[in-house]
Amino acid sequence: MLGGMLVSTKRRKDLFELMRDYIKDWETFADELLESAIMEHPSWDLESCCLEPLCNVFVSADEAVVTADLPNIDPKTIKVKATNANTIEIKASMKRKIRFHDFGITHRQGEFTSFRCHVHIPVSVDMKKMKTQFKRGILEVRIPRKKGYKIKVE
Amino acid sequence: MSETIKIVEKESIPSNAIMLQGLPDVGLVGLIATSYIISELDLAEIAYVDTDLMPPIIVLHEGLPHAPLRIFGNNRLIAVISEIAIPANSVHAIMRVITDWGQSKNVKMVISIGGIPMENRQDLKEPKVFGAASNKELIRLLKEKELEILKEGYMVGPQALTMRYCAEKEIPAVAFLAQSYYNYPDPEAAAAAIQEVAKIVDLKVDVTQLLQKGEEIRLRARDIMKRTQRELTQMKKSQEYDVPYVS
Repeated sequence: MLGGMLVSTKRRKDLFELMRDYIKDWETFADELLESAIMEHPSWDLESCCLEPLCNVFVSADEAVVTADLPNIDPKTIKVKATNANTIEIKASMKRKIRFHDFGITHRQGEFTSFRCHVHIPVSVDMKKMKTQFKRGILEVRIPRKKGYKIKVE
Repeated sequence: MSETIKIVEKESIPSNAIMLQGLPDVGLVGLIATSYIISELDLAEIAYVDTDLMPPIIVLHEGLPHAPLRIFGNNRLIAVISEIAIPANSVHAIMRVITDWGQSKNVKMVISIGGIPMENRQDLKEPKVFGAASNKELIRLLKEKELEILKEGYMVGPQALTMRYCAEKEIPAVAFLAQSYYNYPDPEAAAAAIQEVAKIVDLKVDVTQLLQKGEEIRLRARDIMKRTQRELTQMKKSQEYDVPYVS
């Protein structure tokens, strides 16, 4: 207390520091969100005996391209279908069963006979024109984007 | 920063050895290649990296705990691998300490193995391997061995930092980069990289088994690939697609 005035020893943060803190908080939040989105569940499901494949979605000006890494599968069993306007389901049966034991894991029991995943397409696509190709263990699904409105350039 | 990272030596470390680095990166090329070399040459665990900059994780093998970032070796080779993705915000500090430690052990050369992401990877039957080096003499050596040089472009991640720190400390360093998938484990690219490394290092490793076990490796490596992809995104790995402005 100085002459009846209360003096705070804490320096007030300037605008830039506040903005930095704000951005940092958002980055932490985004990290947590990403973490929960990609890793909140294991990459296998014992009930359905399915492994979840690694997938990727790439969107270009004309199409959405979904790829999935499908090792140890019989290509004839690959099934790709649209489950709604923006999601496709990929399924494929394995050539031979995989057990946790095959990975050296003995504290879990279970076996896997197929791959399955649902992939969300982040843009409007025309599912009826979907084309698939399986090459070198990678499934590629190409889906044309829906055409938008034409804007006349004057 | 560096006092939070230490390299704990379990065995005596050879002097004048060649250091191989295979850390999780695109297609896990370096990790798959270096793990295979470790297993084929039966290299023993000689040291590990103890740091609180990594997540609180141990890896159990045969019921015994191991640090995820480990160093294997024999009397002429040292191999660094990590069984978990290296957090993007720790990669600088960790690579700096590994380089300093290598220098303290008088390593003859540092060879890092990695991948170059290719959008059309599934169309490539035999992935090509490119090289980059820390000095002009090494570039000449790579050309003599008919390795294509990565002339212009960006490198991002552990391999990039190894090149930078080695160049600063004048430790000869070569980066081998095989064309690979970005986010799918790529044993074929790893095999191609090993064959190129063997042109400058006496490395008697037959890659037949690695290619035969390709599907098994892809199954096993799914989880670490997924985690690695996340860290690569944070490292801005996609900048490797960019064209540098100044040439």
